[in-house]
Amino acid sequence: MAKKKSEGSSKRVHIISRKDGWAVKKEGTSRASKIYQNKDSAIKGSEKLRQKGHDVIVHKKDGSIQDWKKSKK
Amino acid sequence: MTNIANNFSNNVFINCPFDHDYISLLRPLLFTILYLGYNPRIASERSDSGEARFQKICELIEQSRISIHDLSRIRSAKKKEYYRLNMPFELGIDIGCRRYKGDDQANQKKCLILEKEKHRYQKALSDMSGSDIKNHNNEPEEIVRQTRIWFVENENPRADNATKIWESFNEFMADFYQKREEEGYKDKDLEMMPIPEYILFIKDWLDDQNSCVAL
Repeated sequence: MAKKKSEGSSKRVHIISRKDGWAVKKEGTSRASKIYQNKDSAIKGSEKLRQKGHDVIVHKKDGSIQDWKKSKK
Repeated sequence: MTNIANNFSNNVFINCPFDHDYISLLRPLLFTILYLGYNPRIASERSDSGEARFQKICELIEQSRISIHDLSRIRSAKKKEYYRLNMPFELGIDIGCRRYKGDDQANQKKCLILEKEKHRYQKALSDMSGSDIKNHNNEPEEIVRQTRIWFVENENPRADNATKIWESFNEFMADFYQKREEEGYKDKDLEMMPIPEYILFIKDWLDDQNSCVAL
């Protein structure tokens, strides 16, 4: 059974497809910060975290990588 | 290979298409099986041209306590395209092995049948009507969810929830792309990556996650 890395050890945020929309999830946390209805809104919503020094990784529906936005810090 | 072959309890035979379209389902499926602590066995795990494919399939089925049969591609998608018979054929071999081999191992065998839609398979394979199958709607997240549900129902009721596994898969994919890029892999190398190589990367990543917790 896989276990997760300890919380807060990473500065990456993932935009992940979910049944109920698109989740913005900081890596290492147990829950998504917020679920958006569509991907564009999720990318916009993650911008603040990017300003604060997180890389934002935008996933495709199959989990592969669509875009890797480097942090602005 | 001998150790894997002997690990009957943890081996999971995967019967699925190997075309490019299916890779978006196969990757999360492989990840889920490994995440849950099992060992995926798949016909493309080795490609000795001197080995007959049918012989290899039979060997994988005999060596695996669990099988996952994905029948979602039995229907042709466009005009003049053939429907796929390999998947129902291999399902038949697996059920035959369970029913007629008659030894202790064969009696322990279990299987999960996946389809795109819940009742569609009955039109092509009415002999299996009444079987409990799960449908994934061709959605990568859903194949994780349905596979995990089956393992909870049949193997481990305490397995991590599907959202956690799906999010872990996405995090794995980020590390996978980043590390392979650093190692000089190009898009085509990632797209066409042989299954054993991909499985090895998942195993390494999961080991790394576990060792981070232990530190």
